Amino acid sequence: MRLIVVDRSVASRRHFWPVALSRPIWELRCGMTTLGEKLQAKVGASDVAYFLPEYMAEVYRAKTDRPVNNVSSLAGDLLIVDARIKADSLAVPDRSEVGVDEQGQVLYVRVTAGDSKKVHGGDLDAFLESAKAALPNVRCALPMWNYTWDLILASPHQITADFALAGRSGIEGTVEEPSAIRGSRNDVYVARGAKIHPMVVLDAEHGPIYIEEDVEVHPFTRIEGPCYIGNKSILLGAKCREGNSIGPWCRIGGEVEESIIQGYSNKYHDGFLGHAYVGEWVNLGALTTNSDLKNDYTNVSVMLDGKHCIDTGSTKVGCLIGDHTKTSIGVFFNTGSYVGAMGILMSTGKPLPKFIPSFSWFVEGVVTKGFGRKSLYETAAKAMGRRKCRWTPADQAMWDAIFEMTAETRDEAVKKGRKAMMK
Amino acid sequence: MATVEERVKMVTAKVLDLDPERIHPEDSFTEDLGAESVQSIELVAMFEEEFGIEMDEDAALSVTTVGGAVDFITAVCKEQGVDVD
Repeated sequence: MRLIVVDRSVASRRHFWPVALSRPIWELRCGMTTLGEKLQAKVGASDVAYFLPEYMAEVYRAKTDRPVNNVSSLAGDLLIVDARIKADSLAVPDRSEVGVDEQGQVLYVRVTAGDSKKVHGGDLDAFLESAKAALPNVRCALPMWNYTWDLILASPHQITADFALAGRSGIEGTVEEPSAIRGSRNDVYVARGAKIHPMVVLDAEHGPIYIEEDVEVHPFTRIEGPCYIGNKSILLGAKCREGNSIGPWCRIGGEVEESIIQGYSNKYHDGFLGHAYVGEWVNLGALTTNSDLKNDYTNVSVMLDGKHCIDTGSTKVGCLIGDHTKTSIGVFFNTGSYVGAMGILMSTGKPLPKFIPSFSWFVEGVVTKGFGRKSLYETAAKAMGRRKCRWTPADQAMWDAIFEMTAETRDEAVKKGRKAMMK
Repeated sequence: MATVEERVKMVTAKVLDLDPERIHPEDSFTEDLGAESVQSIELVAMFEEEFGIEMDEDAALSVTTVGGAVDFITAVCKEQGVDVD
C-alpha cells in the first residue's frame, strides 16, 4: 500500500506559519520525529508520495527521493491522508472508504487494489472528488494538529512515547568522566559518535534522553529528560530543561525549555527560549530571550495574521520564529510572539511587537524594508554555505513566492513604521 | 512649498541629528554626515514617508550623496505621479 501525505489547504497551512511557510506541515517536528515520519511509522508504508503547495514543490523535490505532486502516484492500493492527522489516531481501514469531517473535508481516502479502477482524476482534487462520489463516506472526528503550539505542547510527552518506540538505550558514543547520569540508564541513549564531555549532567529522572550520532555536549551542560538532540548538534554549557526537541546541526547554549528547534539554527549564547518553535537557519543573538508565561497566568494568545488574537488555550507559549530570521544581541520577545521568516531584528531594550511580518528589518523599534530581499538572500546563502548546504535558484523562487504571500501584512507594518519614525 | 532639496535636508537633519544649514548637496551620507547602516534604512523610510513614495531598496541605498538623493527622489516622484514642483 502506498501512503500519500497531503498538505494543500491554504487556510489550515496558515495556522502553522511562520515555520510552515517554507516546508510542508509533515516536516514539522514533535517529539523525536516529524509528523510525516510518525504517519509513515504508524501505517508501516515504505512507498510514500507527497502533495504540497506548488510554490515549494521544487525545493522539496531536492530533499526527497519520493514523488512530489506527481499525479501518477494516485494509482493502485492507496491511503491518502491529511498531514494534520495525529498518527496515533490513524487506523488503516480494510475496505475502500473516504473519511470526512463535519464540514465534508476529506481527511483520508483508502482505496484498495480491487477498487482502484473506481477512482480516477486528472489531478489530486479531481481524484478526491471522484473518491468521495465512488466510495462510502465515513463521518469521522480524527484528532488533528491544528496549530504550531499544539506541537510545542505535545512534544515532551511525544519524546517519551517516541523513545519507547525507538527501543534503544545505552551509551554507544563516549561519556567522559566525571559526568553524571541521573535516573535510569535505560532512559538514556547516546548514539555512536556522540561525545559527552566531562562535567555534564544527563538527568533522565523525569523522562528519557535521546542523543543522536555525532552530537557534542560541552562541559557544564545539564540535559533534563524528556529530551531529543538531533545529529551533529552541539550544546555549549546549555541549561537544557525538560521537553526540548532539537533538530540536526544546531548550536545551543543558554537556557532552553520545552522548545522545538527544526534544525540548522544557532542559539549559541545565554538567553532564555521557552515553549518556542524555531525554524531552520535562525540565529539568535546573545541574550535573546522570550517570555513564555504571562504575569497574570492567563492563556497566551498569538496573532498569526497581525490582526486577530487566537487564544492558545495554554498558559505557556513562547515564540514562533520562521526560517532564516536573525536577532541582534538583547532581543526580547513577548509571550506568544509571531516572528516571520527572513527577518533581521534589532534590539529595542523592551519586548518587540507580538507580530513581526516575514522579510522585516526591525530597526529602531519599527518594521522597515531595510536593505531589502537581495541582501537577505545573500545572507541566507552564506549561512547555508557554512553548513555545506547550497542556496539554489529553487530556494530563491520559493522565497520570492513567500515574499509575495506575506506582502500585505508587511506593507501595512512598514507604512505604520514610517509614520512612527516621522513623529 | 519647500523644494525637494530642502525637504531632503530636513529629513536628513532629523535622522542624523544635524543642523540643516550644515548639510550640502555634495555631502556623502556616510563619510561627511556620519550615517551608519541602520540610519541609512531610517533615511529611506523617512524619505518615503515625507514624499509619499515607494523606493526600490537597492536603488535607494546605492545613492551616496545628498544631491544624489535629491535627484533620485525627484525622479521617483515623477515616475509615481507625486507633484513636487
